[in-house]
Amino acid sequence: MTKLKCRARIDFWGVTLLYETLKGGKGMKRNVTIALIALVLGVLIIGVPLFLYAERKDGAGKATVTFFWALYDGLTEEFRAELQDAFNAAHDDIEVDIVPVDWNLMHDKITTAIAGGKPPELSVVGTRWLLEFMDVDAIVEVDKYVGQQTLNNIAPGAMEAKIGGKLMGLPIAAGARILAYNADVANVVPETMEELRGAAIRAHDPPNMYGLIMPGQKYTELTDFCYYFYAAGGDYFEIKSDGSFGKCMVNSPAGVKALEFMVQMAVEDDIVQDGYLSLDRMRSHPIFYEGKAAYTFIGAWVESAYKQAGGTFDLQYGQIPPFEGDDGTTLIITDSIAMFKDAENLEAAGTFLDFFYQDEWKAVFDESIGFPPVTMSAAKLPQFQTPLYKVLGEAAMRSKGWPLMAEFAEVTDIIWDANVEAFLGEKTPKEALDDAAAEIDRLRGM
Amino acid sequence: MSDVANKKRKGHFWSTDSKYAYLFLLPATVFLLVFMIYPILNVIIMSLYHTDKLGRFIHFNGFKNFANIFQQEDFLEVMLRSVYWTGLAVAVKTLFGLALALLLNVEYKGRKILRALIIIPWASAVPISALLWSWVYHHEFGLLNHTLKSIGLWSDPPVWLGTPISAFFSVIWVDIWIGIPFMTLVFLAGMQAISQDLYEAAEVDGAGSLQKFLYITIPGIRDVLLIATLLSTLWTFNDFNTIYIMTKGGPAGGTQILITYIYQNTFEWWKWNNGAVMAVITFIILSIIAWIYARFYFRKGE
Repeated sequence: MTKLKCRARIDFWGVTLLYETLKGGKGMKRNVTIALIALVLGVLIIGVPLFLYAERKDGAGKATVTFFWALYDGLTEEFRAELQDAFNAAHDDIEVDIVPVDWNLMHDKITTAIAGGKPPELSVVGTRWLLEFMDVDAIVEVDKYVGQQTLNNIAPGAMEAKIGGKLMGLPIAAGARILAYNADVANVVPETMEELRGAAIRAHDPPNMYGLIMPGQKYTELTDFCYYFYAAGGDYFEIKSDGSFGKCMVNSPAGVKALEFMVQMAVEDDIVQDGYLSLDRMRSHPIFYEGKAAYTFIGAWVESAYKQAGGTFDLQYGQIPPFEGDDGTTLIITDSIAMFKDAENLEAAGTFLDFFYQDEWKAVFDESIGFPPVTMSAAKLPQFQTPLYKVLGEAAMRSKGWPLMAEFAEVTDIIWDANVEAFLGEKTPKEALDDAAAEIDRLRGM
Repeated sequence: MSDVANKKRKGHFWSTDSKYAYLFLLPATVFLLVFMIYPILNVIIMSLYHTDKLGRFIHFNGFKNFANIFQQEDFLEVMLRSVYWTGLAVAVKTLFGLALALLLNVEYKGRKILRALIIIPWASAVPISALLWSWVYHHEFGLLNHTLKSIGLWSDPPVWLGTPISAFFSVIWVDIWIGIPFMTLVFLAGMQAISQDLYEAAEVDGAGSLQKFLYITIPGIRDVLLIATLLSTLWTFNDFNTIYIMTKGGPAGGTQILITYIYQNTFEWWKWNNGAVMAVITFIILSIIAWIYARFYFRKGE
């Protein structure tokens, strides 16, 4: 019988892999055929059960709960791992897999998971996303799976995710936005935006110190324009008599005032961080934590992020000021945990939430990310009686959230582009916002 | 009837050597059918339907979806930018690739080390290269601006990723940087297949370097040139990673090309049939380009 010889010539990229065999006799042909069939069958025999084993079934072994875990500033990997391990150790029949996901990627990740038919049991979501998920019937009411004790411990004011009378998300974080400043260089707590501008100009001393942080690159949230817009008393949409949203009002006098002010500070006064147009929120705030900026508008995570960054300056807080003569408000953002209809182990997911929302874990989570606790028991703990939480509490009293609408992601993109066009001088703020409002109305069929 | 004749009449397939080829091809064919052909067909069908926010088919729309897309100003702008992006990047990659291949085709000390170093941009994962260059372009801490300021070439360099035009050229340079090694190596392989006798004969006839390049080298690597530029065109047109990581299509849509626009429509805005329509248009454009290339390529044999 002739030996099986092979000759191979491998060239890369577009050039052939040449493989030759010299055949043997009749027995060799049969052996090769049998070997090939055996290989294919082997792959199927081993592969299919492995695949099925990876599929999770309630009651057949451990129920796996997948939790998409948003990476808040201040939250550490150690905490995530400890929470996961502690829950798994305490529950023989459930295994939780807490998957860390960058906030900027979370929406895309959930989208692909739902569209692929494999959503997680749980995910942290922006509360406004719940409307999109309800639109496609992808989520369930959480109070069907979470214990009553957990639900009763949540502050009623935090229940923004109650939509149409149904609790579609469990509040995880609710934080108003505030002003943080470096008291080593800034001794003024401005009462108006105009005062803030003056104080920022005085503090501005580049490259060692910038007057104000202003992210100029698009981020998943439109917070920075919103701070100024709400401070000018603006509203994104008119409200119709039936409570639904009407035409877009981002180009109202409040909107134009806000954007003109932003452009003035960034371009004419030039008192924001260098290269602001290429810096989104995640890359801008560390400049403040390092002590290189006098003022910033920011959320509750500022203190924990400042400590993690090794900040050494005198960090103080105040309210985001209104414009002079305006009845401005500040922004409050709530995040929720959603439960997905097509996930397999929702009962087990409810058990995990009951575990997580105990003070032992949830209070530590809240303290890490710096958000005020949504649970009433945690709100009484001494660590939440600090100056930061006092300011957050005051801010919450005069704050309002995003418009809850399914198309807000696209609306956000349009307004971001308008901001950038104004910063670049391609359009005046009024032109940019007029075009944006028209495009948004077209998008919504108004 | 003889045994051999019997075997040839029934089960002819199993008595020939072709069965080995088919058996070896089977896993790859199944993989292609499941992970390529099926998704492609699904997207083509989706482009003809009105879908819900999860891409589920609602009702048949025919070519109305296509008509709607072509009426959108944003889409036409993105299309034009995609063509410009591809044309410019492929042209520069080809020129640089040719130049480097010529340099590496000459014998000198250290040539082998240079050949190895050339591969580095191509060997690194694209996302890593994109992140690396994002930091190189950083206005305050980036290597580029620091160098420009230190050597006194530019005291106030621009915010490279902060304005539409500078961002476009900054990102396209990264795509070019990543693609040059492939072009270089392919052209080099082609050049090394050209017989030295041709060059010697040309020298005897008094041909200069430029004439040798134009009349020997270029014709000699014609096939390789066509294949390489075709592949580069297809890859560059669909270069999602570089743009998405560096700018996500911004600022103000300045680096948005068709592939990133498809992603934004589909996964950020949940407009699945828009994304499907644009994906089909991309498929048609690239198929036409490939067909044109194939015509040139196979014309040689006629």
